[in-house]
Amino acid sequence: MDEAEDDLEPLFDYSRVQPQGIMCLDDDDELDSSPIPTVADRKRTRTADQTDKKKEDCKVVDVILVNQKKDEDEEDWLPPPPRKIPNSGSGFIEDKTLQELRLQKQELASFAQSAEVVLREVIESAKRNMHHGEKTVVVLDAEQPSKPQVERPKIVISIQDRKGKRQYKIYMDDKFERLFKMYAEKSKLNLESLVFSFDGEKINPQATPKNLGMEDGDMIEVNAKAH
Amino acid sequence: MSGGIARGRLAEERKAWRKNHPHGFVARPETLPDGTVNLMVWNCTIPGKQGTDWEGGHFPLTLLFSEDYPSKPPKCKFPQGFFHPNVYPSGTVCLSILNEDSGWRPAITVKQILIGIQDLLDQPNPADPAQTDGYHLFIQDPPEYKKRVRQQAKQYPPLL
Repeated sequence: MDEAEDDLEPLFDYSRVQPQGIMCLDDDDELDSSPIPTVADRKRTRTADQTDKKKEDCKVVDVILVNQKKDEDEEDWLPPPPRKIPNSGSGFIEDKTLQELRLQKQELASFAQSAEVVLREVIESAKRNMHHGEKTVVVLDAEQPSKPQVERPKIVISIQDRKGKRQYKIYMDDKFERLFKMYAEKSKLNLESLVFSFDGEKINPQATPKNLGMEDGDMIEVNAKAH
Repeated sequence: MSGGIARGRLAEERKAWRKNHPHGFVARPETLPDGTVNLMVWNCTIPGKQGTDWEGGHFPLTLLFSEDYPSKPPKCKFPQGFFHPNVYPSGTVCLSILNEDSGWRPAITVKQILIGIQDLLDQPNPADPAQTDGYHLFIQDPPEYKKRVRQQAKQYPPLL
């Protein structure tokens, strides 16, 4: 609808006001303000565009790294646009401001959409994980800060007791100690009374999944210590 | 390579086992002294069922696969002299699903074999005796049979 208006108005103007019959490819050109501010202004729009793109990029990284922070992110990238409106609109004719607003709106819409796609993907993959495992996947690194970090391979390991099994996600180079403590706390058992084993062999709490050559999805067993 | 089918299937079995298996069971292909894995021989542990005389025992069992697996079943062996009516003096388990000519089907998994043998421990089949000691006591002297089973369970405590 907005587009249709854009097209109609200039056409109406040309026939009456512009005798030279200059081909106008851009709406901007019809404005009678001097061309220099227009260029400067476009530049400004472009740089704004770039910073926004940059922002979007790092947001995407954030979303992937820290699932639980996505709600904050959603609110995070929305505020910038209002700040820009007074900037760009001041000193120019009303039409100009409207166009810019429209441009910004489109930009916003486009990366809102891409962000949405990313979020949906994240949610979907999380759901898939949930379905894949028999129970919830407990993410041990919940307290990790949002700053991008060096890639540390992770692994999903399930711990099976007599009642069933539960999946945990830990780093390949993380000592089992941490996972065991977590398990003991969750199941309200004394860590000292538990024995964890993989392939029938007791797991040293100082060992890591990497040490034991574990693979994604491997299962370890927990038993009460024999008396 | 003639063992391609057997090894391929065993690699799959192993993969599935690592991700999921019944609690208390162990099943792992043997590792040779040079560190390589021999998929044709698996060292397993079968836990005695809770609430039976077999409870508390963790019985070692070896699965010996041939190049004809899964067309042919693996040979399943407890230690020599294992006390059970359906276990030969050599330790070989006598069970219908492990018999090529009766119950074996190529689709039977390692997991099913081990669970089948766990069931057999507490439910011997008197129609198919494989050793005299276990068979006679089971038929003629149930209290003594029970005692022997409990004794044997204590002989195989958990390794951990």
